[in-house]
Amino acid sequence: MSGKLKLTIYWLIGLIIVIILPHVIGIVYTNVLVTFMMDAVFALSINLLLGFTGLLSFGHAMFFGIGAYAAALSLTHIQGFPLIGVIFISAISALLLACIVAPLLARVTGTAFAMLTLAFGQLLYVICLKFREITGGEDGIAGYDTPPIHLGFTNVDITDPTNFYYFAFVVLGLLAFFMWWLVKTPFGSVMISIRDNAQRVEYLGYRVKHSKALVLIISGTVTGIVGGVYALFHNLVSTDGVLTIFVSFYPLMGAYIGGIASFFGPIFGAGLLHVFDELTSRYTERVDLVNGLIFILVVMYAPYGAVGLWWSIKAWLFKSKLQKA
Amino acid sequence: MNILETRGIYFDYKGLEVLFDISLQVEKGERHAVIGPNGAGKTTLFNVIIGGLIPSRGKVIFKEHDITHATPHELFRHGIGRSFQLTSTFARQTAFQNIRSVVLSRRGIRFNMWRRVDNLGDITNETDEILKKLNLFNERNFPASALSYGKNRSLEFGMAIASDPDLIMLDEPTAGMSRDETHDAVNLIRNLSEGKTMVIIEHDMDVVFSLADRITVLHHGEILATGAPEDIKNNQQVRDAYLGETEV
Repeated sequence: MSGKLKLTIYWLIGLIIVIILPHVIGIVYTNVLVTFMMDAVFALSINLLLGFTGLLSFGHAMFFGIGAYAAALSLTHIQGFPLIGVIFISAISALLLACIVAPLLARVTGTAFAMLTLAFGQLLYVICLKFREITGGEDGIAGYDTPPIHLGFTNVDITDPTNFYYFAFVVLGLLAFFMWWLVKTPFGSVMISIRDNAQRVEYLGYRVKHSKALVLIISGTVTGIVGGVYALFHNLVSTDGVLTIFVSFYPLMGAYIGGIASFFGPIFGAGLLHVFDELTSRYTERVDLVNGLIFILVVMYAPYGAVGLWWSIKAWLFKSKLQKA
Repeated sequence: MNILETRGIYFDYKGLEVLFDISLQVEKGERHAVIGPNGAGKTTLFNVIIGGLIPSRGKVIFKEHDITHATPHELFRHGIGRSFQLTSTFARQTAFQNIRSVVLSRRGIRFNMWRRVDNLGDITNETDEILKKLNLFNERNFPASALSYGKNRSLEFGMAIASDPDLIMLDEPTAGMSRDETHDAVNLIRNLSEGKTMVIIEHDMDVVFSLADRITVLHHGEILATGAPEDIKNNQQVRDAYLGETEV
Protein backbone atom coordinates (compact mmCIF):
# COMPACT_ATOMS: atom_id res chain seq x y z
CA MET A 1 0.00 0.00 0.00
CA SER A 2 2.81 2.40 0.89
CA GLY A 3 4.39 1.70 -2.49
CA LYS A 4 1.21 2.84 -4.18
CA LEU A 5 1.08 5.95 -2.00
CA LYS A 6 4.68 6.73 -2.85
CA LEU A 7 3.92 6.40 -6.54
CA THR A 8 0.91 8.72 -6.25
CA ILE A 9 3.05 11.31 -4.47
CA TYR A 10 5.71 11.10 -7.20
CA TRP A 11 3.07 11.55 -9.86
CA LEU A 12 1.61 14.54 -8.02
CA ILE A 13 5.03 16.17 -7.65
CA GLY A 14 5.67 15.54 -11.36
CA LEU A 15 2.34 17.08 -12.27
CA ILE A 16 3.01 20.18 -10.15
CA ILE A 17 6.40 20.62 -11.83
CA VAL A 18 4.76 20.31 -15.24
CA ILE A 19 2.19 22.96 -14.28
CA ILE A 20 4.55 25.56 -12.84
CA LEU A 21 7.44 24.94 -15.24
CA PRO A 22 6.41 27.45 -17.98
CA HIS A 23 6.13 30.21 -15.38
CA VAL A 24 9.68 29.51 -14.22
CA ILE A 25 11.57 29.02 -17.48
CA GLY A 26 10.04 31.75 -19.62
CA ILE A 27 8.42 31.78 -23.07
CA VAL A 28 11.40 30.70 -25.17
CA TYR A 29 12.05 27.54 -23.21
CA THR A 30 8.34 26.83 -22.89
CA ASN A 31 8.25 26.69 -26.67
CA VAL A 32 11.31 24.44 -26.67
CA LEU A 33 9.46 22.18 -24.25
CA VAL A 34 6.47 21.98 -26.59
CA THR A 35 8.75 21.03 -29.47
CA PHE A 36 10.39 18.45 -27.26
CA MET A 37 7.02 16.93 -26.33
CA MET A 38 6.03 16.68 -29.99
CA ASP A 39 9.33 15.03 -30.89
CA ALA A 40 9.04 12.69 -27.91
CA VAL A 41 5.58 11.42 -28.85
CA PHE A 42 6.60 11.21 -32.51
CA ALA A 43 9.61 9.13 -31.43
CA LEU A 44 7.37 6.94 -29.24
CA SER A 45 5.05 6.24 -32.15
CA ILE A 46 8.01 5.33 -34.37
CA ASN A 47 9.34 3.11 -31.61
CA LEU A 48 6.01 1.29 -31.44
CA LEU A 49 7.05 -0.06 -34.84
CA LEU A 50 10.82 -0.12 -34.39
CA GLY A 51 11.40 -1.27 -30.83
CA PHE A 52 8.22 -3.26 -30.26
CA THR A 53 7.39 -4.75 -33.64
CA GLY A 54 10.83 -4.76 -35.23
CA LEU A 55 9.89 -2.60 -38.22
CA LEU A 56 12.07 0.36 -39.21
CA SER A 57 10.05 3.13 -40.83
CA PHE A 58 11.90 5.79 -42.81
CA GLY A 59 8.72 7.48 -43.96
CA HIS A 60 6.80 8.48 -40.89
CA ALA A 61 6.90 12.09 -42.09
CA MET A 62 4.02 11.15 -44.40
CA PHE A 63 1.71 10.63 -41.44
CA PHE A 64 3.05 13.68 -39.64
CA GLY A 65 2.73 15.75 -42.80
CA ILE A 66 -0.75 14.63 -43.74
CA GLY A 67 -1.96 15.35 -40.21
CA ALA A 68 -0.39 18.81 -40.30
CA TYR A 69 -1.78 19.59 -43.77
CA ALA A 70 -5.24 18.35 -42.85
CA ALA A 71 -5.22 20.66 -39.84
CA ALA A 72 -3.89 23.66 -41.77
CA LEU A 73 -6.25 23.16 -44.71
CA SER A 74 -9.36 22.80 -42.62
CA LEU A 75 -8.44 25.83 -40.51
CA THR A 76 -7.82 27.85 -43.69
CA HIS A 77 -10.95 26.85 -45.56
CA ILE A 78 -13.58 26.25 -42.87
CA GLN A 79 -14.74 29.24 -40.85
CA GLY A 80 -14.79 28.66 -37.11
CA PHE A 81 -13.33 25.14 -37.29
CA PRO A 82 -13.10 23.97 -33.68
CA LEU A 83 -9.95 22.75 -31.97
CA ILE A 84 -11.31 19.28 -31.29
CA GLY A 85 -12.05 19.07 -35.03
CA VAL A 86 -8.41 19.79 -35.79
CA ILE A 87 -7.27 16.88 -33.67
CA PHE A 88 -9.96 14.68 -35.16
CA ILE A 89 -9.22 15.50 -38.79
CA SER A 90 -5.47 15.05 -38.29
CA ALA A 91 -6.13 11.63 -36.83
CA ILE A 92 -8.58 10.62 -39.55
CA SER A 93 -6.39 11.76 -42.43
CA ALA A 94 -3.36 9.89 -41.09
CA LEU A 95 -5.56 6.86 -40.36
CA LEU A 96 -6.83 6.81 -43.95
CA LEU A 97 -3.32 7.15 -45.34
CA ALA A 98 -2.13 4.34 -43.07
CA CYS A 99 -5.04 2.15 -44.21
CA ILE A 100 -4.00 2.71 -47.82
CA VAL A 101 -0.30 1.90 -47.36
CA ALA A 102 -0.64 -0.76 -44.63
CA PRO A 103 -1.79 -3.68 -46.84
CA LEU A 104 1.37 -3.28 -48.91
CA LEU A 105 3.76 -2.53 -46.09
CA ALA A 106 2.51 -5.37 -43.89
CA ARG A 107 3.74 -7.90 -46.45
CA VAL A 108 7.38 -6.95 -46.08
CA THR A 109 9.94 -6.69 -43.29
CA GLY A 110 13.47 -5.48 -42.73
CA THR A 111 15.15 -3.42 -45.43
CA ALA A 112 12.22 -3.78 -47.80
CA PHE A 113 9.91 -2.25 -45.20
CA ALA A 114 12.30 0.63 -44.59
CA MET A 115 12.70 1.32 -48.31
CA LEU A 116 8.98 1.09 -49.05
CA THR A 117 8.09 3.51 -46.25
CA LEU A 118 10.80 5.82 -47.56
CA ALA A 119 9.32 5.58 -51.06
CA PHE A 120 5.79 6.34 -49.89
CA GLY A 121 7.05 9.22 -47.77
CA GLN A 122 8.97 10.76 -50.63
CA LEU A 123 6.03 10.20 -52.97
CA LEU A 124 3.77 12.21 -50.71
CA TYR A 125 6.46 14.86 -50.38
CA VAL A 126 6.67 15.30 -54.16
CA ILE A 127 2.90 15.26 -54.59
CA CYS A 128 2.50 18.01 -52.01
CA LEU A 129 5.35 19.97 -53.55
CA LYS A 130 3.69 19.88 -56.97
CA PHE A 131 0.08 20.54 -55.96
CA ARG A 132 0.79 24.18 -55.24
CA GLU A 133 -2.85 25.28 -55.50
CA ILE A 134 -3.79 23.14 -52.53
CA THR A 135 -0.65 22.84 -50.43
CA GLY A 136 1.18 26.05 -51.28
CA GLY A 137 4.23 24.03 -52.32
CA GLU A 138 7.45 25.15 -50.71
CA ASP A 139 5.84 28.27 -49.27
CA GLY A 140 3.24 26.17 -47.52
CA ILE A 141 0.08 27.29 -45.80
CA ALA A 142 0.29 30.00 -43.20
CA GLY A 143 -1.69 32.64 -41.43
CA TYR A 144 -4.73 30.57 -40.47
CA ASP A 145 -6.45 31.27 -37.16
CA THR A 146 -5.77 29.08 -34.18
CA PRO A 147 -9.09 28.24 -32.55
CA PRO A 148 -9.47 28.59 -28.77
CA ILE A 149 -10.43 25.79 -26.40
CA HIS A 150 -14.14 25.98 -25.60
CA LEU A 151 -14.64 25.18 -21.96
CA GLY A 152 -18.33 26.12 -21.84
CA PHE A 153 -18.06 29.05 -19.47
CA THR A 154 -14.91 30.48 -21.00
CA ASN A 155 -12.58 30.21 -23.98
CA VAL A 156 -8.88 29.54 -23.51
CA ASP A 157 -6.69 31.24 -26.08
CA ILE A 158 -3.94 28.82 -27.05
CA THR A 159 -1.95 31.37 -29.03
CA ASP A 160 -0.59 32.21 -25.59
CA PRO A 161 2.55 30.03 -25.26
CA THR A 162 1.80 28.93 -21.71
CA ASN A 163 -1.73 27.87 -22.59
CA PHE A 164 -0.48 26.10 -25.68
CA TYR A 165 2.00 24.25 -23.53
CA TYR A 166 -0.81 22.97 -21.29
CA PHE A 167 -2.90 22.03 -24.31
CA ALA A 168 0.00 20.18 -25.94
CA PHE A 169 0.83 18.45 -22.69
CA VAL A 170 -2.70 17.08 -22.33
CA VAL A 171 -3.03 15.90 -25.95
CA LEU A 172 0.47 14.46 -26.26
CA GLY A 173 0.39 13.07 -22.74
CA LEU A 174 -2.79 11.17 -23.56
CA LEU A 175 -1.19 9.78 -26.72
CA ALA A 176 1.89 8.68 -24.79
CA PHE A 177 -0.30 7.06 -22.15
CA PHE A 178 -2.30 5.25 -24.83
CA MET A 179 0.86 3.80 -26.37
CA TRP A 180 2.25 2.86 -22.97
CA TRP A 181 -0.99 1.04 -22.25
CA LEU A 182 -0.98 -0.63 -25.65
CA VAL A 183 2.33 -2.40 -25.18
CA LYS A 184 1.04 -3.91 -21.92
CA THR A 185 -2.05 -5.47 -23.50
CA PRO A 186 -2.27 -8.89 -25.14
CA PHE A 187 -1.93 -7.14 -28.49
CA GLY A 188 1.25 -5.51 -27.23
CA SER A 189 2.67 -8.93 -26.39
CA VAL A 190 1.89 -10.09 -29.93
CA MET A 191 3.82 -7.08 -31.27
CA ILE A 192 6.85 -8.04 -29.21
CA SER A 193 6.61 -11.66 -30.35
CA ILE A 194 6.50 -10.57 -33.99
CA ARG A 195 9.68 -8.59 -33.38
CA ASP A 196 11.37 -11.63 -31.84
CA ASN A 197 10.21 -14.38 -34.19
CA ALA A 198 7.51 -13.67 -36.76
CA GLN A 199 7.49 -17.20 -38.17
CA ARG A 200 6.75 -18.72 -34.80
CA VAL A 201 3.98 -16.21 -34.19
CA GLU A 202 2.34 -17.30 -37.44
CA TYR A 203 2.50 -20.94 -36.29
CA LEU A 204 0.83 -19.94 -33.03
CA GLY A 205 -2.29 -18.96 -34.90
CA TYR A 206 -1.76 -15.22 -35.16
CA ARG A 207 -2.05 -13.49 -38.50
CA VAL A 208 1.21 -11.59 -38.54
CA LYS A 209 0.29 -9.41 -41.52
CA HIS A 210 -2.92 -8.21 -39.92
CA SER A 211 -1.19 -7.45 -36.65
CA LYS A 212 1.61 -5.55 -38.38
CA ALA A 213 -0.89 -3.54 -40.40
CA LEU A 214 -2.75 -2.63 -37.23
CA VAL A 215 0.41 -1.47 -35.47
CA LEU A 216 1.25 0.63 -38.50
CA ILE A 217 -2.21 2.17 -38.51
CA ILE A 218 -2.06 2.97 -34.80
CA SER A 219 1.45 4.40 -35.06
CA GLY A 220 0.54 6.43 -38.13
CA THR A 221 -2.60 7.84 -36.53
CA VAL A 222 -0.72 8.94 -33.43
CA THR A 223 1.91 10.59 -35.60
CA GLY A 224 -0.85 12.33 -37.56
CA ILE A 225 -2.24 13.87 -34.37
CA VAL A 226 1.24 15.10 -33.46
CA GLY A 227 1.30 16.68 -36.94
CA GLY A 228 -1.98 18.44 -36.14
CA VAL A 229 -0.49 19.84 -32.93
CA TYR A 230 2.52 20.98 -34.95
CA ALA A 231 0.26 22.85 -37.37
CA LEU A 232 -1.43 24.63 -34.46
CA PHE A 233 1.89 25.44 -32.83
CA HIS A 234 3.80 26.82 -35.82
CA ASN A 235 0.92 28.34 -37.72
CA LEU A 236 2.84 27.36 -40.84
CA VAL A 237 2.78 24.04 -42.69
CA SER A 238 5.15 23.60 -45.62
CA THR A 239 6.55 20.56 -47.42
CA ASP A 240 10.03 21.30 -46.09
CA GLY A 241 8.73 21.62 -42.56
CA VAL A 242 6.61 18.49 -42.32
CA LEU A 243 7.31 16.07 -45.17
CA THR A 244 11.04 15.84 -45.84
CA ILE A 245 13.14 12.83 -44.96
CA PHE A 246 14.60 14.75 -42.02
CA VAL A 247 11.19 14.95 -40.41
CA SER A 248 11.16 11.14 -40.39
CA PHE A 249 14.75 10.88 -39.39
CA TYR A 250 14.91 13.23 -36.42
CA PRO A 251 12.54 11.28 -34.13
CA LEU A 252 14.13 8.06 -35.35
CA MET A 253 17.45 9.40 -34.10
CA GLY A 254 15.77 10.35 -30.84
CA ALA A 255 14.46 6.81 -30.45
CA TYR A 256 17.88 5.28 -31.11
CA ILE A 257 19.77 7.68 -28.86
CA GLY A 258 17.32 7.19 -26.01
CA GLY A 259 17.07 3.45 -26.50
CA ILE A 260 14.64 1.45 -28.58
CA ALA A 261 14.50 -1.45 -26.17
CA SER A 262 12.51 0.41 -23.52
CA PHE A 263 9.24 2.25 -23.79
CA PHE A 264 10.48 5.51 -22.27
CA GLY A 265 13.83 5.52 -24.08
CA PRO A 266 12.59 7.61 -27.04
CA ILE A 267 11.26 10.33 -24.72
CA PHE A 268 14.64 10.49 -23.08
CA GLY A 269 16.37 10.47 -26.48
CA ALA A 270 14.22 13.31 -27.82
CA GLY A 271 15.15 15.30 -24.71
CA LEU A 272 18.85 14.55 -25.17
CA LEU A 273 18.69 15.65 -28.81
CA HIS A 274 17.19 18.97 -27.75
CA VAL A 275 19.89 19.46 -25.14
CA PHE A 276 22.58 18.66 -27.73
CA ASP A 277 20.95 21.08 -30.18
CA GLU A 278 20.86 23.78 -27.57
CA LEU A 279 24.48 23.30 -26.56
CA THR A 280 26.06 22.86 -29.99
CA SER A 281 24.17 25.78 -31.51
CA ARG A 282 25.98 28.06 -29.07
CA TYR A 283 29.31 27.20 -30.65
CA THR A 284 28.63 26.19 -34.21
CA GLU A 285 25.98 26.20 -36.93
CA ARG A 286 26.75 22.60 -37.83
CA VAL A 287 24.24 21.11 -35.43
CA ASP A 288 23.31 18.29 -37.81
CA LEU A 289 26.94 17.26 -38.12
CA VAL A 290 27.24 16.91 -34.35
CA ASN A 291 23.92 15.05 -34.16
CA GLY A 292 25.06 12.72 -36.90
CA LEU A 293 28.30 11.95 -35.07
CA ILE A 294 26.43 11.26 -31.86
CA PHE A 295 24.07 8.97 -33.75
CA ILE A 296 26.98 7.02 -35.25
CA LEU A 297 28.59 6.67 -31.83
CA VAL A 298 25.33 5.42 -30.32
CA VAL A 299 24.78 2.85 -33.06
CA MET A 300 28.36 1.61 -32.75
CA TYR A 301 28.90 1.61 -29.01
CA ALA A 302 25.49 1.74 -27.34
CA PRO A 303 23.01 -0.07 -29.61
CA TYR A 304 20.36 0.13 -26.90
CA GLY A 305 20.87 3.86 -26.44
CA ALA A 306 21.10 5.83 -23.26
CA VAL A 307 18.68 3.56 -21.43
CA GLY A 308 20.66 0.50 -22.49
CA LEU A 309 23.81 2.19 -21.25
CA TRP A 310 22.12 2.84 -17.92
CA TRP A 311 21.08 -0.82 -17.72
CA SER A 312 24.66 -1.99 -18.31
CA ILE A 313 25.96 0.39 -15.63
CA LYS A 314 23.35 -0.91 -13.20
CA ALA A 315 24.24 -4.50 -14.03
CA TRP A 316 27.92 -3.71 -13.58
CA LEU A 317 27.34 -2.03 -10.20
CA PHE A 318 25.21 -4.95 -9.07
CA LYS A 319 27.93 -7.39 -10.10
CA SER A 320 30.72 -5.56 -8.28
CA LYS A 321 28.50 -5.34 -5.21
CA LEU A 322 28.01 -9.11 -5.33
CA GLN A 323 31.73 -9.69 -5.64
CA LYS A 324 32.44 -7.53 -2.61
CA ALA A 325 29.86 -9.30 -0.48
CA MET B 1 -10.17 -43.19 -37.85
CA ASN B 2 -7.40 -41.40 -39.70
CA ILE B 3 -6.85 -37.89 -38.40
CA LEU B 4 -3.99 -37.10 -40.78
CA GLU B 5 -3.50 -38.51 -44.21
CA THR B 6 -1.22 -37.77 -47.09
CA ARG B 7 -2.50 -38.97 -50.44
CA GLY B 8 0.05 -39.70 -53.13
CA ILE B 9 2.49 -36.92 -52.33
CA TYR B 10 5.15 -36.14 -54.91
CA PHE B 11 7.64 -33.36 -54.35
CA ASP B 12 10.62 -32.07 -56.27
CA TYR B 13 13.14 -29.32 -55.66
CA LYS B 14 13.42 -27.74 -59.13
CA GLY B 15 13.51 -31.09 -60.88
CA LEU B 16 15.32 -33.06 -58.18
CA GLU B 17 12.64 -35.50 -57.10
CA VAL B 18 12.61 -36.02 -53.35
CA LEU B 19 9.30 -37.69 -52.53
CA PHE B 20 7.52 -40.37 -54.56
CA ASP B 21 3.94 -41.30 -53.97
CA ILE B 22 3.93 -40.93 -50.20
CA SER B 23 0.64 -42.09 -48.72
CA LEU B 24 0.74 -41.94 -44.96
CA GLN B 25 -2.11 -42.59 -42.54
CA VAL B 26 -1.98 -41.43 -38.96
CA GLU B 27 -4.74 -42.69 -36.71
CA LYS B 28 -6.27 -40.63 -33.95
CA GLY B 29 -4.43 -41.20 -30.69
CA GLU B 30 -1.34 -42.87 -32.10
CA ARG B 31 2.25 -41.73 -31.87
CA HIS B 32 3.66 -42.11 -35.30
CA ALA B 33 7.35 -41.80 -36.08
CA VAL B 34 8.83 -41.18 -39.49
CA ILE B 35 12.40 -42.43 -39.74
CA GLY B 36 14.93 -42.88 -42.45
CA PRO B 37 18.59 -42.35 -43.24
CA ASN B 38 19.89 -38.88 -44.06
CA GLY B 39 18.48 -37.62 -47.32
CA ALA B 40 15.48 -39.95 -47.21
CA GLY B 41 13.08 -37.00 -47.39
CA LYS B 42 11.87 -36.89 -43.78
CA THR B 43 12.15 -33.16 -43.31
CA THR B 44 10.75 -32.51 -46.76
CA LEU B 45 7.72 -34.63 -45.91
CA PHE B 46 7.33 -32.74 -42.63
CA ASN B 47 7.44 -29.44 -44.47
CA VAL B 48 4.97 -30.63 -47.09
CA ILE B 49 2.54 -31.51 -44.32
CA ILE B 50 2.84 -28.28 -42.33
CA GLY B 51 5.89 -26.30 -43.37
CA GLY B 52 4.55 -24.40 -46.34
CA LEU B 53 5.99 -26.62 -49.09
CA ILE B 54 3.42 -27.32 -51.79
CA PRO B 55 3.66 -30.84 -53.27
CA SER B 56 3.76 -31.16 -57.05
CA ARG B 57 1.07 -33.85 -56.79
CA GLY B 58 -1.07 -35.21 -53.99
CA LYS B 59 -2.98 -33.88 -51.01
CA VAL B 60 -2.64 -33.52 -47.27
CA ILE B 61 -5.87 -34.17 -45.39
CA PHE B 62 -6.36 -33.30 -41.72
CA LYS B 63 -9.69 -33.99 -39.98
CA GLU B 64 -11.28 -34.22 -43.43
CA HIS B 65 -10.00 -30.77 -44.40
CA ASP B 66 -7.62 -30.33 -47.29
CA ILE B 67 -4.66 -28.53 -45.69
CA THR B 68 -2.29 -28.82 -48.63
CA HIS B 69 -2.34 -25.06 -49.13
CA ALA B 70 -3.14 -23.97 -45.58
CA THR B 71 -1.16 -21.09 -44.06
CA PRO B 72 0.60 -21.53 -40.71
CA HIS B 73 -2.05 -19.70 -38.70
CA GLU B 74 -4.78 -21.77 -40.34
CA LEU B 75 -2.92 -24.95 -39.37
CA PHE B 76 -2.85 -23.76 -35.77
CA ARG B 77 -6.55 -22.99 -35.84
CA HIS B 78 -7.28 -26.44 -37.30
CA GLY B 79 -5.59 -27.81 -34.19
CA ILE B 80 -2.01 -28.57 -35.16
CA GLY B 81 0.88 -27.67 -32.86
CA ARG B 82 4.43 -27.97 -34.08
CA SER B 83 7.98 -27.76 -32.86
CA PHE B 84 10.99 -26.66 -34.85
CA GLN B 85 14.20 -28.57 -35.42
CA LEU B 86 16.21 -25.41 -34.71
CA THR B 87 14.89 -24.02 -31.45
CA SER B 88 12.49 -21.26 -32.30
CA THR B 89 11.39 -19.71 -29.03
CA PHE B 90 11.09 -15.98 -28.34
CA ALA B 91 14.62 -15.49 -27.06
CA ARG B 92 14.12 -12.14 -25.36
CA GLN B 93 10.91 -13.15 -23.58
CA THR B 94 10.62 -15.20 -20.41
CA ALA B 95 9.60 -18.84 -20.42
CA PHE B 96 6.28 -17.70 -19.00
CA GLN B 97 5.69 -15.17 -21.78
CA ASN B 98 6.63 -17.75 -24.39
CA ILE B 99 3.98 -20.18 -23.23
CA ARG B 100 1.46 -17.43 -22.54
CA SER B 101 1.50 -16.34 -26.17
CA VAL B 102 0.24 -19.81 -27.10
CA VAL B 103 -2.43 -19.83 -24.41
CA LEU B 104 -3.65 -16.38 -25.49
CA SER B 105 -3.92 -17.48 -29.09
CA ARG B 106 -5.82 -20.65 -28.24
CA ARG B 107 -8.32 -18.54 -26.31
CA GLY B 108 -8.64 -16.28 -29.34
CA ILE B 109 -7.24 -13.26 -27.48
CA ARG B 110 -5.25 -11.79 -30.34
CA PHE B 111 -6.27 -8.17 -30.77
CA ASN B 112 -7.25 -7.22 -27.22
CA MET B 113 -6.08 -3.68 -26.46
CA TRP B 114 -8.18 -2.80 -23.46
CA ARG B 115 -6.90 -5.13 -20.77
CA ARG B 116 -3.46 -5.52 -19.30
CA VAL B 117 -2.13 -8.90 -20.24
CA ASP B 118 -0.59 -9.38 -16.78
CA ASN B 119 -4.01 -8.97 -15.18
CA LEU B 120 -5.65 -11.86 -17.05
CA GLY B 121 -5.72 -14.21 -14.07
CA ASP B 122 -6.92 -17.42 -15.69
CA ILE B 123 -4.44 -17.03 -18.55
CA THR B 124 -1.66 -16.70 -15.97
CA ASN B 125 -2.89 -19.76 -14.08
CA GLU B 126 -3.20 -21.90 -17.17
CA THR B 127 0.28 -20.86 -18.32
CA ASP B 128 1.75 -21.68 -14.91
CA GLU B 129 0.09 -25.12 -14.98
CA ILE B 130 1.71 -25.86 -18.33
CA LEU B 131 5.08 -24.63 -17.07
CA LYS B 132 4.81 -27.01 -14.10
CA LYS B 133 4.09 -29.94 -16.40
CA LEU B 134 7.16 -29.03 -18.45
CA ASN B 135 9.34 -28.77 -15.31
CA LEU B 136 9.98 -25.17 -16.24
CA PHE B 137 8.21 -23.46 -13.37
CA ASN B 138 11.46 -22.64 -11.57
CA GLU B 139 12.70 -20.98 -14.75
CA ARG B 140 9.40 -19.13 -15.20
CA ASN B 141 10.91 -15.64 -15.25
CA PHE B 142 14.12 -16.41 -17.12
CA PRO B 143 14.37 -15.20 -20.69
CA ALA B 144 14.52 -18.11 -23.10
CA SER B 145 18.00 -17.03 -24.15
CA ALA B 146 19.22 -17.66 -20.59
CA LEU B 147 17.88 -21.24 -20.42
CA SER B 148 20.11 -24.27 -20.93
CA TYR B 149 19.82 -26.00 -24.29
CA GLY B 150 17.78 -28.84 -22.83
CA LYS B 151 15.38 -26.47 -21.06
CA ASN B 152 15.02 -24.44 -24.21
CA ARG B 153 14.09 -27.60 -26.09
CA SER B 154 11.48 -28.34 -23.41
CA LEU B 155 10.10 -24.87 -23.95
CA GLU B 156 10.08 -25.48 -27.69
CA PHE B 157 8.11 -28.69 -27.12
CA GLY B 158 5.88 -26.85 -24.65
CA MET B 159 4.92 -24.30 -27.26
CA ALA B 160 3.86 -27.13 -29.55
CA ILE B 161 1.54 -28.65 -26.95
CA ALA B 162 0.40 -25.60 -24.95
CA SER B 163 -2.56 -25.07 -27.24
CA ASP B 164 -3.77 -28.62 -26.48
CA PRO B 165 -3.69 -29.46 -30.20
CA ASP B 166 -5.36 -32.43 -31.89
CA LEU B 167 -2.11 -33.21 -33.65
CA ILE B 168 1.43 -32.61 -32.41
CA MET B 169 4.13 -32.40 -35.05
CA LEU B 170 7.68 -32.75 -33.73
CA ASP B 171 10.70 -32.18 -35.94
CA GLU B 172 13.69 -33.96 -34.36
CA PRO B 173 12.84 -32.96 -30.78
CA THR B 174 16.09 -34.32 -29.35
CA ALA B 175 18.45 -32.96 -32.01
CA GLY B 176 21.71 -31.78 -30.49
CA MET B 177 20.98 -33.09 -27.00
CA SER B 178 23.32 -35.00 -24.73
CA ARG B 179 22.42 -38.57 -23.67
CA ASP B 180 20.97 -37.43 -20.33
CA GLU B 181 19.06 -34.58 -21.87
CA THR B 182 17.66 -36.93 -24.50
CA HIS B 183 16.53 -39.34 -21.81
CA ASP B 184 14.69 -36.56 -19.93
CA ALA B 185 13.21 -35.15 -23.11
CA VAL B 186 11.85 -38.55 -24.16
CA ASN B 187 10.21 -39.04 -20.76
CA LEU B 188 8.70 -35.57 -20.91
CA ILE B 189 7.36 -36.09 -24.42
CA ARG B 190 6.00 -39.53 -23.54
CA ASN B 191 4.18 -38.23 -20.47
CA LEU B 192 2.72 -35.16 -22.10
CA SER B 193 1.68 -36.81 -25.33
CA GLU B 194 -0.25 -39.59 -23.56
CA GLY B 195 -3.42 -40.26 -25.55
CA LYS B 196 -2.61 -37.61 -28.14
CA THR B 197 -1.93 -37.90 -31.80
CA MET B 198 1.66 -37.16 -32.60
CA VAL B 199 3.89 -37.32 -35.64
CA ILE B 200 7.57 -37.27 -34.90
CA ILE B 201 10.48 -37.02 -37.32
CA GLU B 202 13.60 -38.42 -35.73
CA HIS B 203 16.73 -40.32 -36.54
CA ASP B 204 17.77 -41.30 -33.02
CA MET B 205 16.63 -44.94 -32.89
CA ASP B 206 16.35 -45.11 -29.10
CA VAL B 207 14.02 -42.16 -29.15
CA VAL B 208 11.89 -43.61 -31.89
CA PHE B 209 11.51 -47.05 -30.37
CA SER B 210 10.71 -45.72 -26.91
CA LEU B 211 8.11 -43.23 -28.14
CA ALA B 212 6.35 -44.52 -31.22
CA ASP B 213 3.29 -46.78 -31.51
CA ARG B 214 3.80 -47.04 -35.23
CA ILE B 215 6.74 -46.33 -37.48
CA THR B 216 7.03 -45.39 -41.12
CA VAL B 217 10.41 -45.90 -42.76
CA LEU B 218 11.37 -43.61 -45.61
CA HIS B 219 14.13 -44.55 -48.00
CA HIS B 220 15.14 -42.56 -51.08
CA GLY B 221 11.86 -40.68 -50.94
CA GLU B 222 9.63 -43.74 -50.83
CA ILE B 223 7.86 -45.55 -48.04
CA LEU B 224 9.75 -48.75 -47.36
CA ALA B 225 7.55 -50.08 -44.59
CA THR B 226 4.94 -49.06 -42.05
CA GLY B 227 4.14 -50.95 -38.89
CA ALA B 228 4.56 -51.50 -35.18
CA PRO B 229 8.09 -51.05 -33.77
CA GLU B 230 8.59 -54.83 -33.44
CA ASP B 231 7.65 -55.46 -37.07
CA ILE B 232 9.94 -52.70 -38.24
CA LYS B 233 12.82 -54.09 -36.21
CA ASN B 234 12.35 -57.50 -37.83
CA ASN B 235 11.72 -56.27 -41.35
CA GLN B 236 14.58 -57.48 -43.51
CA GLN B 237 14.23 -54.73 -46.09
CA VAL B 238 14.44 -52.08 -43.40
CA ARG B 239 17.45 -53.75 -41.84
CA ASP B 240 19.22 -53.77 -45.17
CA ALA B 241 18.39 -50.20 -45.96
CA TYR B 242 18.89 -48.58 -42.65
CA LEU B 243 18.98 -50.40 -39.38
CA GLY B 244 21.82 -52.64 -40.38
CA GLU B 245 24.07 -49.64 -40.42
CA THR B 246 23.30 -48.63 -36.87
CA GLU B 247 23.06 -51.98 -35.06
CA VAL B 248 19.84 -51.89 -33.07
